[in-house]
Amino acid sequence: MLMASLRNLLFRRVYTCSTTFYIPSLQLVRPTSALLPSLSTLGHFLPAPRISGQAKEWRCLSPLLASFSTSSEASTNEASASSYLSVRIRCRKDVADMLSDALLCFGASSASMDEPDDCDSTDEISINSIFTECQDVGACISNAAGSIGLKDMPSYVVTMGEHCDWIKKTQESFHPVKISEDLWIVPEWRTPPDAQATNIILNPGLAFGTGDHPTTKLCLVLLYSLIKGGEFFLDYGTGSGILGIAALKLGAALSVGVDVDPQAIRSALQNAALNNVGPQEMQLCLVDSMGNPLSAVGTTDGNVKGQSSHGIRLVAEKEKFDIVMANILLNPLMEMADHIVSYAKPGAVVGVSGILSEQQLPQIEGRYMQFLEGMSVSEMDGWACLSGRKRITKYS
Amino acid sequence: MSSLKEILTRRPVAATIRLTVPAGAARPAPPVGPALGQYRLNLMAFCKDFNARTQKYKPDIPMAVTITAFKDNTFEFTVKSPSVTWYLKKAAGIESGSSRPGHVIASTITLKHIYEIAKVKQSDPYCQYMSLEAICKSIIGTANTMGIKVQKELD
Repeated sequence: MLMASLRNLLFRRVYTCSTTFYIPSLQLVRPTSALLPSLSTLGHFLPAPRISGQAKEWRCLSPLLASFSTSSEASTNEASASSYLSVRIRCRKDVADMLSDALLCFGASSASMDEPDDCDSTDEISINSIFTECQDVGACISNAAGSIGLKDMPSYVVTMGEHCDWIKKTQESFHPVKISEDLWIVPEWRTPPDAQATNIILNPGLAFGTGDHPTTKLCLVLLYSLIKGGEFFLDYGTGSGILGIAALKLGAALSVGVDVDPQAIRSALQNAALNNVGPQEMQLCLVDSMGNPLSAVGTTDGNVKGQSSHGIRLVAEKEKFDIVMANILLNPLMEMADHIVSYAKPGAVVGVSGILSEQQLPQIEGRYMQFLEGMSVSEMDGWACLSGRKRITKYS
Repeated sequence: MSSLKEILTRRPVAATIRLTVPAGAARPAPPVGPALGQYRLNLMAFCKDFNARTQKYKPDIPMAVTITAFKDNTFEFTVKSPSVTWYLKKAAGIESGSSRPGHVIASTITLKHIYEIAKVKQSDPYCQYMSLEAICKSIIGTANTMGIKVQKELD
């Protein structure tokens, strides 16, 4: 096996040179698409491999053959923070499942397969795999192919994808949502279908809360029934700020939004501005996972310092809010139950959501029973929202 | 077998997506974002649903999830427990498997570890038909391919 040993020598030399280029000189058993002659010019598109890690895992099963194509909008420097590698791999249908699983084990972020049309008569299928930008695509694919026993390397095409592409695509899927007769949630780029109703304009960005999740709807319906005017409202886990802004539009006097994710705070600030909500009406605070405030921001950049102390003071003031809502997840709701309820005045309404009806609701009921009385549950699509009034006297 | 009603109302499938997401930490950012975004699926709904369903696992364990996207932009997904190789690496306390399995031993674990891993795996949808013994045998097989030796007891 002189060829094999020569090949090994060659590859070892490649790795010690610590540059990224693949040797296309060896022929594959199964002929595939034409290979590009000199790949060193594409060096700036190819990620620099982690040499030591890759060399250990490299199994020289088959020579690498890669044909590269780059999308037209791939720019070199500014794309490095906001792009990813999208690889299209062709392989036989019967090995596609196993290859997808193997790709995930060897470092791909995801692997998707389009359903083949019935009129597609070839026995080949394409797998679209996504990698982060600094990964060695070729090594991962060959490791994956080798681990399931494929003798030859599947052909693949690498393209650079921009994050704004898929962000744009998901935004297209947002439509105005009707919560009740005169309350609508409208994405920023669409016109409200009913101009007379209370319309909340949203740009959800990368934070939770677009209005069409069942838990958001449950919370909004609850708010709609509770707010009479002039209440203080705390939104624990505010996401895009949707509940806080809705409360203000329905008549509350003050909304405070709290979240652990700085992206959520930024998104909520933007949405507050979109709905002409001023800093006196809506305040936001970033907290850590135990509820301690990290920083507070006002809705205008100039007043950050002034708002910050006021914001922190308000959040730190317990028993000041008439309505407290927390639409998060089971674990934080269980851990922070005391903390969340402590912000409510005695007799105030506390609502929690983000829980699944069958599996998680009994736990939440058990936990919050000591704080709340007159609890009621509303459900939609398997999700539940629990609300009750804070006990005035201690639970015995 | 699917009932007739299920077959008649089956929606046309557009794609199957496989992902690894840390439990309770799905965000509309990579890796979830690009993978689901290109099929126009509702990212927020998936993240919220996934996080709620993985609350019972320890946070940030990498869960394998398979999403079936239908042509009408709706989707269903199933969450599987982490891969056997991941459990084995955790139990053995190593970062990656041996580079030459069969020749170089990366680490050793005991039968007790295998038993615990098998118990967790039994709740996985595709392992439910197998007896515990059969699951243990397949885990030992995987350990061998990674270069992890299985002993009765630790010395």
